[in-house]
Amino acid sequence: MSEQLPLSGVRVADFTWVWAGPFCTLQLAHLGAEVIRIESESRLCVTRRIPPVADGQAGPNRCGYFNQYNQGKHSICLNLKKPAGLGIAKKLVATSDVVAENFAAGVMDRMGLGYDTLKTIKPDIIMIALSGYGATGPESPYVSYGPAQVPMSGLASLTGFPDSPPMSVGFSYGDPNGGLHGAFAVLAALMHRARTGEGQYIDLSQWETSVALVGEGIMAQEMNAAAPQRRGNRDPHMAPHGLFRCEGEDRWVSIVVADDAEWQRLCAIMGKTDLASDARFATLAGRKDNEDALEAAVTAWTTTLSAEEVTRTLQAAGLAAFPAITNKELAEDEHLRSRPFFARLDHPEVGVRQHAGVPWNFSDTPCQVRRPAPCLGQDTGEVLQRVLGYSADEAATLKDNEVLT
Amino acid sequence: MSEHPSSRPQTPGPLHGIRVVECGHMVAAAYAGKLMADLGAEVIKVEEPGGDRARQRGPYPGNVPHPEKSGLFLYLNTNKRGVTLDLETAKGRELFQQLVKDADVVVHNYHPTQLASLGLEYEALAQQNPTLVLTSISPFGQTGPHREYTAHDLTLWSAGGIVFLGGAGGRPDLPPLKAAGQQAGFQAGVNAGIASLGALYARLGTGRGQHIDISVQECLVAIMENNYIAWPYDQTTPSRLGFRLIPQDVLPCRDGYIYVLAVEEHQWQNAVELMGNPDWADTELFQDFVARSVNWDALKALLADWLQDKSVHEVYHGAQQRRVPFAPVSTMGDLLKSEHLNARGFFAEIGHPEAGTLRYPGAPFKFAASPWTLRSPAPCLGQHNEEVYCGQLGLAPEELQSLQATKVI
Repeated sequence: MSEQLPLSGVRVADFTWVWAGPFCTLQLAHLGAEVIRIESESRLCVTRRIPPVADGQAGPNRCGYFNQYNQGKHSICLNLKKPAGLGIAKKLVATSDVVAENFAAGVMDRMGLGYDTLKTIKPDIIMIALSGYGATGPESPYVSYGPAQVPMSGLASLTGFPDSPPMSVGFSYGDPNGGLHGAFAVLAALMHRARTGEGQYIDLSQWETSVALVGEGIMAQEMNAAAPQRRGNRDPHMAPHGLFRCEGEDRWVSIVVADDAEWQRLCAIMGKTDLASDARFATLAGRKDNEDALEAAVTAWTTTLSAEEVTRTLQAAGLAAFPAITNKELAEDEHLRSRPFFARLDHPEVGVRQHAGVPWNFSDTPCQVRRPAPCLGQDTGEVLQRVLGYSADEAATLKDNEVLT
Repeated sequence: MSEHPSSRPQTPGPLHGIRVVECGHMVAAAYAGKLMADLGAEVIKVEEPGGDRARQRGPYPGNVPHPEKSGLFLYLNTNKRGVTLDLETAKGRELFQQLVKDADVVVHNYHPTQLASLGLEYEALAQQNPTLVLTSISPFGQTGPHREYTAHDLTLWSAGGIVFLGGAGGRPDLPPLKAAGQQAGFQAGVNAGIASLGALYARLGTGRGQHIDISVQECLVAIMENNYIAWPYDQTTPSRLGFRLIPQDVLPCRDGYIYVLAVEEHQWQNAVELMGNPDWADTELFQDFVARSVNWDALKALLADWLQDKSVHEVYHGAQQRRVPFAPVSTMGDLLKSEHLNARGFFAEIGHPEAGTLRYPGAPFKFAASPWTLRSPAPCLGQHNEEVYCGQLGLAPEELQSLQATKVI
């Protein structure tokens, strides 16, 4: 095993904030890049202001959202409205490999930090802009938030019960998805630079990265001028395929039966010989035609059991099942803890909290969260001196002149 | 036969020269392979002789099932060459070893319990190619008490904690609801793409390959935003039935649906102006976003009343011109007609010998120097057997025939 991490020696000047951008740079931090977030005391990141906060006590360093999305990063405060602040930002870019930002299209240009300027400072810089609509096109100035990507991309129009309006998916899916695609793009650009010496600008539209998730719907429209119908949790090729009520309040188990043989196994487990021999359910076509009755029959069995017991029993027989697990159950999940998936580092203000960690296990260059999310501006002095070569006196003067706010 | 990718002059993509072998079924490995292929990597897709199960999923033209016309398969396998190979046979595993000898990355989503019998164990592959990156995607990872659990997209969306968040608020009688499509597969795929490129970049420094173990469940827990972390921070459990602090919903217009969202106070004030400053907006019930969240049911009814005779187009553009982040609830047809997406050249068209010419979702990111390209359609089953086995591995034509006769390919 190597001490080296995949992105050891790669520095990221991270101008992102809120959701998609920080999730992009989180992946780069997971891979070992030195990610330096440029923050501002007067324009706090939204994720430093919203719940959940540790033990109900608010504060910019106590927010779960920020502390989850910014693990492993550094934070400096710069007032980019002051020429000296802008100058420091440019010096940082000059020593960086990647610049990431997710302001609305055009904002970086107006601040004097557009790609055309930055590439004169660092000719092989890789710059990624993650925006809702992309940098070009008639709607590029429009305002977008991650939750809006679910309806915009068409995913909402495909999600929902057959008799319901389009529905959201329960979280702001467009943001992490855009961030992940952004991290992939940055890595590809780093590979390109390693081969050719050339940096470049990457224009990522969260709308487009979200449409990438509904490819089969787009194909259906192209082929037949009709989109698939909303069908709840059902599937055209498998039945039963759904969430079934279990013992307890709002407890559910997901079950998927992939073929006729699996259906016979499920019937045997449920102890329902009458269902096993019921001609209506013998074939997929029959189960689809009689799906209400099919689901009622399975529910009659699951409601008497816990979701965990259904899962254990079905999995022991090689059938796919899992409880509709809550965040508390995830946090206490023995399997995830054994991997070990969670990152438990000591943070100066919130102590040890169990964060979601790196979802990839590398055998040779193990990627782990190496430091907790930074407190606001905690690395300003260190970055100015170690990375940018300012003396302690110069840093103190900049602080006195309110450049580091 | 479609043209071989390299026969057309193109600006090379950023992953030019990277050789990838992809195998498995459905979405996760295929999407990782597609992300790399679309950026210029040479991807060989190895299918079992019966074909990737995505070929059985559709959608199909005219709704007539045909293994070469499945929309899901066509979308996920652009820019790849395709061979067939039965990894359950000794001869199949031997050929696979030869294929992998010169590869940079192998990405697969076979279940951990199958790896030994398919010859996909890291030690065996690394022995003859120590610079290989092997990316193994599995439902719950290669280790831990649930490693043998079987899964499909729905059960993974449950295991990742996401299904518990989705569904109809205020309807405890209805179950939690999964997102449409194969979302667990897509998320695992993009994570596998990131990890594979990360390992390739590491290799530039170490000279060594490695094995990457990716658990789909973990990929999903990682994207839950503030929903997982709420437990360690304030011991709350978000669900579809819970209170939402930010007023947002899908509401009907005269000709479709609009998504309404106003996070910041000035956005709400601008929305009120757009509605013509109705008297009700001035009441205590809706004075700030907390009040608007608490009284959302009442507010929703008032908004719905205002929206019912408006078009999605007028509300969307009217709101956005006032910096209010409303969004259209697009249908698939709306997307293909979108002026904005088409101005950006998002959809990419290509012909396929069986499925014909279709538009596909295109570049999810635009590279200025080394662009995303659509160079060839998804391969037909075994389309490149001769080209790969004879042209690349040097098998004689008779050997190919014998492999076909013995159903190894």
